Amino acid sequence: MRKDLVFGMAGSGGDGIVSAGDSLLQAAAAEGYHGVMTKSFGSQIRGGESSCRVRISTDPILNPGGNLDVAVALNWEDFLKFGAELPVSGNTVVIYEAATNIPVDQIPLVGVTPLQVIAVPIAEMAKSTAGTERAKNTVVLGLIAGWFGIGAVAVMKGIRKKLAKKGEELVEANQRAFDAGRAFAMEHPLKVSMNVVASETKGAVKLITDGNDMCGAAAIFAGCQFFGGYPITPSTEIMQFFTDHVWKYGGAVLQAEDEIAGIGAAVGASFAGKKAMTATSGPGLSLKSEMMGLASIAELPLVIVDVQRGGPSTGLPTKTEQSDLFAAAFSAHGDVIRPVLAPTSVADTFRITLEAFNIAEYYQTPVIVLSDQEIASRKETLDPIDTTQFKILNRVRPTGADLQDYKRFKQTENHISPISHPGMLGGTYLASGIEHVESGAPTNSGSVHQRMNDKRTKKFDPLKDRKDLFTVYGNPDAPIAMVAWGSVAGVCREALDMALAEGLNVKLLVPYLLYPVAEGVYNDFFASVQKGLVIEQTHLAQTFKLLRMHIDLPKGLKSLARSGANPFLPGEIVAALHHLLSELQRSHEGKLQPQE
Amino acid sequence: MSATGTCDYQAKDYKSDLKPIWCPGCGDYSVVQGIYRALAAIGRPPHEIAFVSGIGCSSRIPGYTTAYGFNSVHGRSLPIAQGIKLANPDLLVLAAGGDGDGFSIGGGHIAHLIRRNMDITYIVMDNQIYGLTKGQLSPTSQKGRVTCTSRYGSLEEPVNPLLYTLAYGAGFVAQASPTDLAGMASIIEEAIRYPGFAFVNIQSPCVTYGEEAQQIKGLKAIQETLASLGHNPADRLAAMDLAQHYGEKLHLGVFYRNPEPPPTYGDLVKERQALLSKDALPKERILDLFIKK
Repeated sequence: MRKDLVFGMAGSGGDGIVSAGDSLLQAAAAEGYHGVMTKSFGSQIRGGESSCRVRISTDPILNPGGNLDVAVALNWEDFLKFGAELPVSGNTVVIYEAATNIPVDQIPLVGVTPLQVIAVPIAEMAKSTAGTERAKNTVVLGLIAGWFGIGAVAVMKGIRKKLAKKGEELVEANQRAFDAGRAFAMEHPLKVSMNVVASETKGAVKLITDGNDMCGAAAIFAGCQFFGGYPITPSTEIMQFFTDHVWKYGGAVLQAEDEIAGIGAAVGASFAGKKAMTATSGPGLSLKSEMMGLASIAELPLVIVDVQRGGPSTGLPTKTEQSDLFAAAFSAHGDVIRPVLAPTSVADTFRITLEAFNIAEYYQTPVIVLSDQEIASRKETLDPIDTTQFKILNRVRPTGADLQDYKRFKQTENHISPISHPGMLGGTYLASGIEHVESGAPTNSGSVHQRMNDKRTKKFDPLKDRKDLFTVYGNPDAPIAMVAWGSVAGVCREALDMALAEGLNVKLLVPYLLYPVAEGVYNDFFASVQKGLVIEQTHLAQTFKLLRMHIDLPKGLKSLARSGANPFLPGEIVAALHHLLSELQRSHEGKLQPQE
Repeated sequence: MSATGTCDYQAKDYKSDLKPIWCPGCGDYSVVQGIYRALAAIGRPPHEIAFVSGIGCSSRIPGYTTAYGFNSVHGRSLPIAQGIKLANPDLLVLAAGGDGDGFSIGGGHIAHLIRRNMDITYIVMDNQIYGLTKGQLSPTSQKGRVTCTSRYGSLEEPVNPLLYTLAYGAGFVAQASPTDLAGMASIIEEAIRYPGFAFVNIQSPCVTYGEEAQQIKGLKAIQETLASLGHNPADRLAAMDLAQHYGEKLHLGVFYRNPEPPPTYGDLVKERQALLSKDALPKERILDLFIKK
C-alpha cells in the first residue's frame, strides 16, 4: 500500500489529458486525499503537446513530486517533449497506448528500465465502449481507479455532474469507457501492488483552486477595488477572476489597451483612494517599470503581480522560472526600494497577496508579488482557511489637524505621511513624478532630493525586521543549509524532510520577503552554516547574487541554479546535501591531520 | 450647477500659489485662465476635481490649479485619468498635456478612451513643437519643418488630431485658441458639461521655439469661428470635412457634439455593479468559491 503517488500523463491537445487530471484531482479530494495538479503545454493554441502531473497523498503535499510513480503516454512523441518535467525512473509504472505499435521492451525512454511497462489499447477501448476515441481520457481514469484504487466511485460521480447537461447518453458512454478501463486493470494486476491507502479524512470539506484564482480572491478579501491589466500568459486568470467578481463588491476592472495603460489606471485608482492592482508576466513587467517608478516617488500604494515564466522576452511563455527576480528588485530607474514578496504554494498565495496589500498600504509603495507559472496554474486541494485570522491594513489618512495645513509629503518620525485623496476637503495636493517638497510642489533642489530619497528609502527599515516573512525548517543550529523561495521552496521542504529522516543535520530558510534583503534574518540563519545551497530556477543564480550583494555569505555556501522548465527533484537535492556533508567531513578530517 | 457643487466659485478660487515655469507670452497662460473661468462657471469645489497631465511644458498645468493634481509621466495622463474616474465616478476628471504627450508618446491611448466613452475632458495644448526639451520636431509639426532634430526639414506629415478623434467616434470635439479667451473658456466649459469623453484641441503658441505663423498674430490671420461658417455641430460628416483643414485654417468652436449622448462607461459600470451586488459572498467567505462539493 502507498501513501503518496505521482501521476504524469501526456498526449495531444485534444486528448483531454488535463481534463482527466482535473477529474482525478477532484475525485481524490472527494475521497479525502491531498492533491496537487500541474499542467504543462506547448505554446500552440490548439493541439500540440499537453500534459499534467497529479500527486495524491494522505499527507499534506509540498510540491508536485519528483520522479513519476505512474506515467501515462497516449503517444510517445508528445510525452518525450516534456523531458525533465515528466521524469521516469526504475520505480515507475509506465502505461501507454498500444496503438503506437511499440513493443513494451522498446519504448523510447533512454537509460532507464521502468518497474513495469504496460501497453493498453486505450483508443480501441474508448471506441468500442463509448463509440468515440474522445473517451480515451475516461478509459485512463478507469485504469487508474483499477490499478491504484483512486476514484472508483468519485470519478464517475464528478463526470456525471460535469456532463449532466449534455445528456444521459454521453454519461452512459463515459461510464462504459470507465468500466472498461477498470476491468482491464483488474484483469492485468500490477507486479507490485500500488494501491493507495484510504484517507482518514474522507468527506471533509476541501477547496480546490490554483494560484491565480487564489491571488484574485485574496486581493478582493484585502479590499482591492480596481484591477487594470492586459492579457499575458500565465497571469491572465487573475484579471479573469476580477472580471467575474469585482463588480459585486462595487469595484471595477479595466482590460487596458496595453500593459502601461493597465498599471497607469491602477496608479490613478490608487491616487483616487482605492486599493488597486495589476498583474502581468516578464515582458509586461518591463513595460510597467516606468509607472512603478512613478508610484514609488508619488508614494502611492499599488500591488503588481508578476507571474514568472521563462525569459527573456517571450522565452518559454508556458513554463515556470524564477528569473524575474532582478527585474522585480531593480527594474525602475532611480534610487528606489520596492518590496518584493513571493508565495511558495497556492495556499500561501492567499497570505502573501494580502501581505502585499498591507505593505503597499502601510508604506505607501508599489509592491511586487513574484509568483511563478507553477504556483499560478497548479491546482491544490486545500483545507478551509479561516480568513478572520488575517489583519487588513489601510493607508493612514490625514486627521482634521493634518488638514489645517496639509502637507502630503510631510516628514514624520516613521517617514510615512498621511495621504489624502480627491474628494477630501482640505487635502488637495499635486501628486507628481517630479521631485517635490513636502507640500507636493515641484523642486529641482539637490538637498530636497537627498532628503526625500532618505524618506522614501528609510521608511522601509522596519520591513527588514519582519521575521514572520521568513520560515526556518529543520534543525536551527545545523551546519548544512538550503535557501529557496517560490515554487522551488516546496521541493526543498520535501528534500529537507527526506534528509532529516536520513539523519542529516540540515535546515532550510524560505524567504517570503525577497526585497529589501533582510540582512539580519540571513545573518542569524547563516551563523551556524558551514556548507549550503541557494537553490533556484534561474540561469544566472540571481538569488545567490542578490544575497551576496547584501550579505557576507558563508564561504561554503554555493549556488544550485538552473533555467526554468527543468524542475528540481527532491531526490537530487538530498544527494547534493549528502555531497556537502561528505565535503564537510573531509575538511574536518583534513584539519585533524598534522601538516607535513 | 452640479449635483454636489455650488455656483459660488470665482476663477481665482481655482488658481494656486505656484508660479508657472512658462516663458513670458506662452499661450498656456491663457489656457490656464480659460480653465479657471470654465471651472468657476461650472462651480464644482476644487477638491472634487482631479486634474491629470503627462510631461511637457503644458503638463505643468495641474499644479497651477487648486484641484487635486497629478503631474505624471510622459504620455500617460489618459490611463491615469481613467483609473481615477473608475475609482471615484463622482469626481470631475480633467486631463491635459501637449501634442507630443498626447499624439506621440501617448498616442495609443486616446482611441481607447474614446471607445470607452468615460466622462473625462481632455485638453491638448498643441504648439507643433517640443518646447520643454528645447525645440524638437513634434507629431503636429508641418512637413518640411526645420528643427534641431530635423535639420534638413522633416520628412513626415503631421497627424490631424481633430480628424482622428472624430473618426475614433468621440462624442465631443472642439478647437480653441488664446486668440479668443472668452470663446476658449466657454468651449472648455461646454466640453466639461458634455456627459462623456470630450476633446478640446487648443492652438497654444510656443513663443520660444514656435514659428512666426503660429504666433498670436499668425493665428488670428487664419482663424474663423465655426459658428460664422454656419456649421451644425450635430453633423459629424460636416465636422470631418472641416477638420481636414487642420494646419491651414484655424477653426474655432465645436466641431461635433453628439446630440444624443450614449451612456458613459461609468453609467454602465454602475449598472453592472448594481445588478451583481446581490451575488457577493461576504468578503471573509470569498474562499467558499473554491469549495468542491
